Amino acid sequence: MHEIDVKAGLLAPNDAVAAENRHLLAERGLYAVNVMSAPGSGKTSLLERVLPMLAERHRVGVIEGDIVGSADKERLDRFGGPVFQINTGAACHLDARMVHHVLHHLTEDGCEVAVIENVGNLVCPAEFDLGEDDAVMLLSVTEGHDKPKKYPLMFRRADLVIINKVDLLAHTDFSLPAAVAAVRDVHPGVAILSTSCRTGEGIEEVVAWLERRIASKRAAPLAAPAGQGR
Amino acid sequence: MHEAGIALSLIEAVQQRLVSMPGSRVAVIHVRVGELAGVSTDALDFAFECLSAPTALAGAKLVFDLVPLTLLCDACGKTSPVEDLVFRCGVCGSERTRVASGRELEVRTLELVEESEVAYARD
Repeated sequence: MHEIDVKAGLLAPNDAVAAENRHLLAERGLYAVNVMSAPGSGKTSLLERVLPMLAERHRVGVIEGDIVGSADKERLDRFGGPVFQINTGAACHLDARMVHHVLHHLTEDGCEVAVIENVGNLVCPAEFDLGEDDAVMLLSVTEGHDKPKKYPLMFRRADLVIINKVDLLAHTDFSLPAAVAAVRDVHPGVAILSTSCRTGEGIEEVVAWLERRIASKRAAPLAAPAGQGR
Repeated sequence: MHEAGIALSLIEAVQQRLVSMPGSRVAVIHVRVGELAGVSTDALDFAFECLSAPTALAGAKLVFDLVPLTLLCDACGKTSPVEDLVFRCGVCGSERTRVASGRELEVRTLELVEESEVAYARD
């Protein structure tokens, strides 16, 4: 019996494609944001609000990730820009390879902003770098304020945490201060905003945050790999 | 939930390493898994057992080396463990930290048996 070294990272195949995506985005001046959350937290509703506002100033393309079906794509088609559906089949997350070809289409289409709606899942998407510039995640009031400490990886990965459905605060035991404190424990310094996609509260702040990130990408095109040191 | 994909990636990495070593059979695969790697070792073990069955790695055992979650502080330069998922420096309390260990997910080493040894043991 003898022992040999391997030292192979098991996410290396995904990370290699994510690095290619990152270079493509930098080269073509495309800003990409990966939107993640549990199922039903309001990703599509948020995008219905945000996309028309971003589209006033930029050519925006959307990558819609779902296990099956195109119901969300049909909702987002109304904003008028290109929307590409990716059906993962059985896979619980988007990976770098799935979005690679679509990112090429978006650059050829002249898009300046790519919005990627990941599969609704609070676990798996956190592990798979897509090569995006920023990760935005939603936590909705109906999920409970204890989630940041139950799904730390996702909250570590986020550049912006959005607490959504705040119009329901009065009807639930959700504590906004407790949720913010839990997010700050898991990821000190992360940006936190609160929204209601029903009333429109907080949507302008989300758009302003994205506009600042788009502008800073123009100043410094190559993003650091997502989640590094997290 | 994505342990099957990770098991496939593990099988591929080990098989690549073995290309240059004909006549060796893998007995044990040592895998480093960080506390915050987002992987269930039980699920990975089960996925590996199923997916390796039709390959040359059938029967190999996975041994997990669990790596604790620690932070390196940019303010005081010290390393400290993460307790109760509070990501602040355990020494000075600073928020300016980065994960020093606990995100690992990699094959480290293989324990190999020569096919001749296997035959000998059978006799």
